[in-house]
Amino acid sequence: MNRITIILVAAGLVSLSSCSKFLEENPNNAIPSETAVTDVGTARAAITGVYDAIQGYFASNYVTLGTITADNVIANGTLTQYLQLDQNAIPTDNVTTVAAYQGIYKVINAANSVITYVPAVTDPLLTTAEKNKILGEAYFARALGYFDLGRGWGGVQLQLKPTTVVSDAKGIKRSTLDQTYDQVLADLIEAEKLLPEDATTRNRAQKSTARALRARLHLYRKQWADAEQYASQVIANTAKYELIPYKNFFTAPFLTKESVFELTFSANDRNSYWNLWYPSSGGGQYTLKPAAGFVTKVKNAAIGGSRTSLIAGSGTDVYGVLYNASATSTDPSYVIRIAELYLIRAEARAQQGKLTGTDGAIADLNAVRARAGVAGTAATTKDEVLLAIEEENGIEFAFEAHRWFDLVRTERAGAVLGLTNRNFWLFPLPFADVLSDPDLEGKNNPGY
Amino acid sequence: MNPRLVFLTMLSIVLHSISSIAQPTPRTIRGTVLSEDQLPLEGASITIKGSGQGTASRKDGSFELPVTPQAKTLLVSFAGFEFQEIPLSQKDVYRVVLKKSSTQLEDIVVTGYSTQRKRFIAGAITTVGGDEIKNSPAAGFNQLLQGKASGVQVLSNSGVAGGSITFRIRGNNSINASSDPLYIIDGVFVSNAETIQTGLGQQQPTNPLATINPSDIESITILKDANATAIYGSQGANGVVIVTTRRGKQNTRAKISLNTYQGWSKPVGELTVANGVETAKLANEAVVNTAKDNGIDPSTVVLPFPNPDTLKTYDRLGDVYRTGRTSSYELSAQGGADRNTYYASIGYLKQESVTRPTDFERFTARLNYDNQLAKKLKLGTSIGITRTFRNVSSSDNNPQGVINSAYFVRSYLPVYNANGTYARYGSFDNHQALIDHLDNKAVGWRIIGNAFLEYSFLPELKLRSSWSIDKADEQENNYASTLISAGVSSNGSGAAFETHNLVLLNEQVLTWIKSFGTDRQHAINALVGNTISNTISELTSASGTGFPSNNITAISGASIRSGSSSRSVAKLASFFGKASYTYNDKYTIDASLRADGSSRFGANNQWGYFPSGGVTWRAGQESFIESLHFFDDLKLRASFGLTGNQNGVGAYAAKGLWGAGANYLEIAGTAPSQLANPDLTWETTRQFDAGVDVTILNKRLSVSLDYYHKYTYDLLLNVPVPNRLGFASVLQNYGTVSNKGFEVSVHSNNLSSRDFVWTTDFNISFNTNKIEKLAADISLGASGRNISILRQGYAVNSFQLYKQLYVDRNSGNAVYDDVNKDGSITNADRQIVGNALPKYSGGLTNNLQYKNFDLNVFIYFQQGNKIMDMNEFFMVHGGLQANIGFAPRQLERWQKPGDVTDIPRLTTAKANPNDNGGAANNYGGFVANLSSRYLKDGSFARLKTLSLGYTLPGSWLSAVKFSSARLYVQATNLFTVTNYTGADPEVSSQSGNQNTAGYDWATVPQPKTVQVGLTVSF
Repeated sequence: MNRITIILVAAGLVSLSSCSKFLEENPNNAIPSETAVTDVGTARAAITGVYDAIQGYFASNYVTLGTITADNVIANGTLTQYLQLDQNAIPTDNVTTVAAYQGIYKVINAANSVITYVPAVTDPLLTTAEKNKILGEAYFARALGYFDLGRGWGGVQLQLKPTTVVSDAKGIKRSTLDQTYDQVLADLIEAEKLLPEDATTRNRAQKSTARALRARLHLYRKQWADAEQYASQVIANTAKYELIPYKNFFTAPFLTKESVFELTFSANDRNSYWNLWYPSSGGGQYTLKPAAGFVTKVKNAAIGGSRTSLIAGSGTDVYGVLYNASATSTDPSYVIRIAELYLIRAEARAQQGKLTGTDGAIADLNAVRARAGVAGTAATTKDEVLLAIEEENGIEFAFEAHRWFDLVRTERAGAVLGLTNRNFWLFPLPFADVLSDPDLEGKNNPGY
Repeated sequence: MNPRLVFLTMLSIVLHSISSIAQPTPRTIRGTVLSEDQLPLEGASITIKGSGQGTASRKDGSFELPVTPQAKTLLVSFAGFEFQEIPLSQKDVYRVVLKKSSTQLEDIVVTGYSTQRKRFIAGAITTVGGDEIKNSPAAGFNQLLQGKASGVQVLSNSGVAGGSITFRIRGNNSINASSDPLYIIDGVFVSNAETIQTGLGQQQPTNPLATINPSDIESITILKDANATAIYGSQGANGVVIVTTRRGKQNTRAKISLNTYQGWSKPVGELTVANGVETAKLANEAVVNTAKDNGIDPSTVVLPFPNPDTLKTYDRLGDVYRTGRTSSYELSAQGGADRNTYYASIGYLKQESVTRPTDFERFTARLNYDNQLAKKLKLGTSIGITRTFRNVSSSDNNPQGVINSAYFVRSYLPVYNANGTYARYGSFDNHQALIDHLDNKAVGWRIIGNAFLEYSFLPELKLRSSWSIDKADEQENNYASTLISAGVSSNGSGAAFETHNLVLLNEQVLTWIKSFGTDRQHAINALVGNTISNTISELTSASGTGFPSNNITAISGASIRSGSSSRSVAKLASFFGKASYTYNDKYTIDASLRADGSSRFGANNQWGYFPSGGVTWRAGQESFIESLHFFDDLKLRASFGLTGNQNGVGAYAAKGLWGAGANYLEIAGTAPSQLANPDLTWETTRQFDAGVDVTILNKRLSVSLDYYHKYTYDLLLNVPVPNRLGFASVLQNYGTVSNKGFEVSVHSNNLSSRDFVWTTDFNISFNTNKIEKLAADISLGASGRNISILRQGYAVNSFQLYKQLYVDRNSGNAVYDDVNKDGSITNADRQIVGNALPKYSGGLTNNLQYKNFDLNVFIYFQQGNKIMDMNEFFMVHGGLQANIGFAPRQLERWQKPGDVTDIPRLTTAKANPNDNGGAANNYGGFVANLSSRYLKDGSFARLKTLSLGYTLPGSWLSAVKFSSARLYVQATNLFTVTNYTGADPEVSSQSGNQNTAGYDWATVPQPKTVQVGLTVSF
């Protein structure tokens, strides 16, 4: 029996030895933060992760925030968060606003990481040109993130460094909306400097993409001349961008000349946003439904024109088909289209009193109308033209993240939507943030 | 499993045992062993004191035993009876009458890594076993324990067969780490990880114990306090459940048992909806009221249903509920020879849920085989193999679940379109389409095995080395055909998951048990040991869309396919020891210590140390107590110790990570996914326990009382961090939870005569849970509606809602408690209005035996818990939900000035959500229907088991060569007393997260079952 004793004791002793090595385990689907960005491969992976994060907040949540809150789309499903948005009574834990807010800061943290770590990468395979491109894309992503935060929630806390420990949070108070937009501008200037420009890229940031967002930023800040200038720069690139027949931009093959910036999805990287729009007989949830008023307008040949292609179905079962790849879930998400640049310039010019002529607001407005097969506008005065542009935006971008933000930006949400309490023109900060962030001093946006 | 093979195996074991008996003898004594009522006792052990030689009594109680002239005394023992010493005389024939042991204090109980005599144990330990298990067959392990043990709360979360359970020992210790206890089956630390991947809403699909055949269980021991559990260190804080399966006894002849039962189940309660006419009238009323709110003349509005009385009603729920059939067949054989023992069984169970189309099927096989390899070396093996089959169907917040599709759709809408196809409305699928075509199949295999070698250096010194495996595998094949919503758009959608959870464990334990001194007044029971364990989880999944035909369901047939895989490994290394010293059978002191090192935790805090100590005083042995002539036994005990919890913490939770899979444009991407926390370590629970065990009235009444105070600190918490960091939370050791409680258990032998025996068991447990420290509130639950909240100073599982004060009699609008008195309803006015934890729970069992009849009546009760009725939350919507019907409760709405009700006026008007008592907050607004009017009292008392059995008289049986046969009828959940107005108060729909207990949300109700069964042995 002694042999057995020896074996048992030996087994015990073996298990005693080398405990610390025994306890060392690493995952196979993640890398340690310290070595996350060290060479050309990880740098590329990191910037790819930034785009993935943009997809994360924009494709469904942000578009929903820009549509259902206004008058083109109503909540039809059973999920309370959509009903809350539709009713403009948004509790601080509304799932969609929380997810969007969270998602945008994920973009910002990922972009901050790229901006901080990529310059230190010494891998010779990472050329200066590629390094600049990666950094430019990160600056653009951060600009887009802060812009989308600013127009939704007002001035926010400006995080400009990657988060490594929780204490990185301390001491950053909310900025004013102007300060937030200043940061967007600073990042766009940097991005425009660093980014490349080619003839075909539409699903990653390019110089034109930065300029287009800058035109939109100036519009929101009522800096009309700048808005006009940057919109013109993009429109002038006619080899790359042009207004095409309306339905084509959301019909495969995507990445048409209409697109200045669109997020591409694929069978491996799906966008199932259509699911919220399609009725259950088509496999969807039918949560987002075109409002009756919008359906009437878009079906009117003098208003909608070829944009009736945005809807399908009949009677009480009309549904939106901008996102229509229901079999494959490969719909793109449309962030900036060239039509918007025309309407930005139209509005900027109208605000500056430039209404007629080839460099007048009406010409730009009519360009967008003409491509939809709608006759030129009847508006003549500045106010009429501005109203016509507002209407045009409403139809042209009915199911994109526009209508709500336009009405808030022009302070028309009260008149058009009947939402007179201006407190509710901003979304609430997430409930959990107000609780966990001492720098918010327990304060949400007013009214919440 | 081929039954013939099992029998051949058994046969070979039996033959082998027979061959190893034989010793020459000078004299043979004979005898019979009887109970006090003169019934023969089969399987009683008769040994010769000091020699280890022995035998067991036969069916008729008779025995024969060769004795040497040196033999002086016979020892006769039988489980459940008092042990007897018989001095040997010249007689050759002995008649031994054993007295039933009237108190449980004498039992040997299983404790951590050893067994101990219960009377010396300082810890709080409850054992459930014997007849309690044998005579009320249950499909699930959990049913054996519910209401049977004090301090233990066991609830089924739904009526889904084989579905999830909530199992708490002395309250919820944790928030983020799991509060589930450690389960040990025959020495195997069983994985608690979920194996089903198919999404079921927020419902947890299975429980790890569903794979066990309850008939294989000999006893279940529950270790509750720190003294009992500290030896399990970082796995012990939530208590430990030790399951011992049956084993053969040495020198007993083969006993073959067949047990079968057939059951029929209906739901204990059913959901109901407003009929078509009522629904239409309510919808009309909402439109009229809304017009008034908007200042429009109601006579000018177009009613959605101009002729509501003409509408039909389509009963959907009736298609879903059914009479579920249950069948069970079990066959077992057990016995043993001189040097080996065996227990072998096979079982088959099929259970249909009370709602279509969910089914559960289970095949089990077990072989426990022990062999004395040599005089000092013993080999023990236990192996259980289970195959389960489930038809998985989702519930609660999945709008395309079966119950959802039947319950929420408006009742006037036809089930089929005019052309005969399935009609679908709003977000919901067609319930009949799901019943007919839902195809989610999960097949699980589980192997729980243990082998040990035990070497006795000396009778009192033993070394045991044991190896264990728990291998849980699940293969799921789901196919959503084009006939159900999930497959409509994509031309069929398939998914397959393969899950492997593996736990490997090796342990060495050296035990020393010795009594010495005059009258053996010093007794020592000590052990030291070590374990290493490895937990490996692997998942491979594949999915595809676009199938050529609904008959092709393999992913390989899909036009678009994708796949993924993942793997994680966690390791634990431990050293432990414990010792107890008893003086004079009166005073016991014991202590234990365990050191654990875990790969899950941060480099700075990888090792933890868990000590405990306890004292026991058997005051009943003191002469001054004895002289009172009141106590038959009186024992006082107290213990204190530290235990840990690392359950439910991810394998790599301490590391700062960038996750893969953040891809774009088919380029692989990475993104920050987890903040590092090198200080991450276990939760520690400090527990004090004091108890007293009393036996009085000539051992007819025994009572145990326990008080405990558990204080869990360094809680592993996903502490929310400001989202601006790019992370929502970070796992930290922060926060404290306490549980204080009081437990009473009573066992009474009310009557004990030859023909009539009546015993009563009663237990009740009070627990008070409180979050002592928390960085900030954590709110969660109900798909982002944050109805559950964790807040310092309150219990876990609290509900935060807007407290509805009343419905204004004049306006019909709901008025809520304006907590901060600012005259305006905002999020700040949500408050904690109750919680899901019962104030107390317990059980009352009566066992009556009259001649050959036995009757068991078991009532479970719990009081003081609240249930959030999500069914009403959705179905009492005031007209806001155009695609959802109404619950009958909506009919109680305010209609005209003067009406007194708690259901406000129907309206869908958009109005200022800050306005308290305004129309906006009736159903929508900031309140968003999160009104306390849907929070209900979930207390209930339920007749869990009523069983009547008849044991056939021996005289009948001998004719057919059976040794025993029992016929019985058993009813489960027959009767419930409750104020709860939903379908079933025994429910927890959001069980996927332990912090969201107490929701009732389109969940399968518990079954009310009647079963008839037969058990025969020969």
